[in-house]
Amino acid sequence: MFDDNDSAREDDGVRGTDGDGDDNGDSDGVPEHWKRTREMTDGGQPADESRSGILTEDTEAELDRGPFQQWVADSISNPERVYRSMFYTATIFFLFTTLFPFYWLLMVALTPEGQQQDIILTPNGFNPGAFIEVFQVLPFHWYMFNSFVIATASTILVLVIGSLAGYAFGRLEFPGKTPLMLLVLIISFFPPAAFFIPLNDLFNTSFFLLEPITGDGTLYNTPGAMVLPLSAIFMPLAIFILTTFYAQIPDGLEDAARVEGTTRLGALFRVIIPLSAPGVATAGVLTFIAVYNEFFFSFLMTDGQPENWAPILEGILGYQGQYEVMYHLMAASSIIGVIPVAILVIVAQEKIVSGLTAGALKE
Amino acid sequence: MATDTDGPIGGGETETERDRSGNAVVNWMENLSEAAYAYLLLLPAFALLTLIAFYPLIMTFIMSLREDRTRGAEPLGGFVGIDNYVDILTGNARVARQFMDISVSASFPFLELGVPLLQQALFVTLGFAVISVFFETVIGFGQAYVLDQDFRGRRWVRVAIILPWAVPIVIQGMIFFLLFQPEVGFGSDLMQWLGIFGPNPLADSQDAFIIILVADIWKSAAFMALLILAGLQSVDRSLYDVARVAGASPWQRFKMITLPLVMPALLVAMLFRTMDAMRVYGLIESTAGCTTVPSLTCLVVEAMFGGTRIFATAAAVAFATALVIGLIISVYVFFFRDTEGGLY
Repeated sequence: MFDDNDSAREDDGVRGTDGDGDDNGDSDGVPEHWKRTREMTDGGQPADESRSGILTEDTEAELDRGPFQQWVADSISNPERVYRSMFYTATIFFLFTTLFPFYWLLMVALTPEGQQQDIILTPNGFNPGAFIEVFQVLPFHWYMFNSFVIATASTILVLVIGSLAGYAFGRLEFPGKTPLMLLVLIISFFPPAAFFIPLNDLFNTSFFLLEPITGDGTLYNTPGAMVLPLSAIFMPLAIFILTTFYAQIPDGLEDAARVEGTTRLGALFRVIIPLSAPGVATAGVLTFIAVYNEFFFSFLMTDGQPENWAPILEGILGYQGQYEVMYHLMAASSIIGVIPVAILVIVAQEKIVSGLTAGALKE
Repeated sequence: MATDTDGPIGGGETETERDRSGNAVVNWMENLSEAAYAYLLLLPAFALLTLIAFYPLIMTFIMSLREDRTRGAEPLGGFVGIDNYVDILTGNARVARQFMDISVSASFPFLELGVPLLQQALFVTLGFAVISVFFETVIGFGQAYVLDQDFRGRRWVRVAIILPWAVPIVIQGMIFFLLFQPEVGFGSDLMQWLGIFGPNPLADSQDAFIIILVADIWKSAAFMALLILAGLQSVDRSLYDVARVAGASPWQRFKMITLPLVMPALLVAMLFRTMDAMRVYGLIESTAGCTTVPSLTCLVVEAMFGGTRIFATAAAVAFATALVIGLIISVYVFFFRDTEGGLY
């Protein structure tokens, strides 16, 4: 589906450039003053060059041109060229700035311990063993597993509860709809710290009901201590996205399912949610990444031990030991920690963008 | 909140009775009125939000109105009204770094700083939010504009540019910590050579502030790009063809078509980012540390865990932060209320 979309857009682009060619051909037939205004307004960046170019062309049209003048002359006859080269410059600049930190991190990770000075483009030595050592010094795989479980559980919880709420907000009419929606959004105003003290008390309180599950009956040092607050904090965004998606499904489809004898909940889970798959995927991916990346509760809701469900964050900070700082392991663990979300971005980026395009930002 | 619980009781008549073989729960659900059904569906979400968000917020607020008691078993004393808020606004709170510390003086410029601006949490946070959101918007727009074009390999360029957004905060912090840690990274040497940074940038308020800004812009410009790209992609392409036929230059096309149509998405993105930037904590904690760059959330955390037992003050700072964020959002809504498409 998305590939089709892409190829369609590419066709567009081809037509676009053809159009440009025609444009330039036509521009000869255009009155002289039109052309002048066009050149003036064009001149965002390359203004000086094109102006001097105009003079050169007018007065010395017969002379041989150097490569630069040639380029300038071409740019004037075909302004799209300038924009294209600006575009490539910008692309390369953005690629460099976003990717260089990762590349550099890899170089630090590959440098043997104790030789970390002055790494810029190449590592000092070559020690891929750091990527194994990471798992030997600390049970890093355990931290990663914890992070996965916490992020997955939160995502499922948010999608299920958020779907119910999103359906109510998006497709049903009831008194108090707007105030309740605002009440949900208002949560995003508060710093996580504002929730923390009472939550910390709550999670350290022993509940009789929880004793068979957690031993001492408290939630502290269990995945629940992170899944619950993180779900609550990231749920407003998911509800927001799901609401706009569910609202867009035509009523007729749901009515048809109801006439066929589906229950109300059945219609939600068998008709509305499947039809809003891009929206659900967007909300799910955004929630997973947000929970996996979260700092505040991940840092404070466990005691940092992997057996007590400490997430990846504690692992990465753990290489900063009391007596020595293992820079190469910090770098290696950071790279390993990025890999899951990087894969998610590679797989889901089209969905995220089209999901946001189709839904959340329209309203 | 009351509506949630008493909703289902009220309904039950509007839908025609369906005689179905389902169990009692399904039958009961089928017979609810639309409003009652809506409240039923909202119940789980609001139950969770009440337990995890609303209840703690109310407790925190009550806590912020009580007295700090640094001795004895009970950490909170009697009810003192808004004294804690007055203390943090006048720079008299018992925290390591002040929320704000400015007094009025007789001579020009009539304001006197108790401590340098970069050691006052409110101004550190506001400065951080304003500068970072500004650069993130500009750079994010540039990135989104590049990603909106059609070219070979667009998919991979898009992945590369969006990637920083997906990086966990602790890893983002780790990257910039290593880059500017004099023992490892070249960033410190480079900036010293340029004459911008001192010898140990991570321990210097001003240098560390710049590092944190750069780190945040690196990561969050990608988030801006993502949201703006979504806005750009919903722009009707045929508008550009019309403009091209009318002889509009690319700059004119941008100014007359792209910008106005993307404005709502841009504003939503800026609003989200501003709220996030005002709550910055993890990035600071994992690079320079809260003593060097005290943000508002840093202040709360230090007051809470600093061992000084000033929980009431911590709660007051947390609430003051929320108020500042609320104020900023009202400013957004106020200034951009006339924008086509609106904020919401």
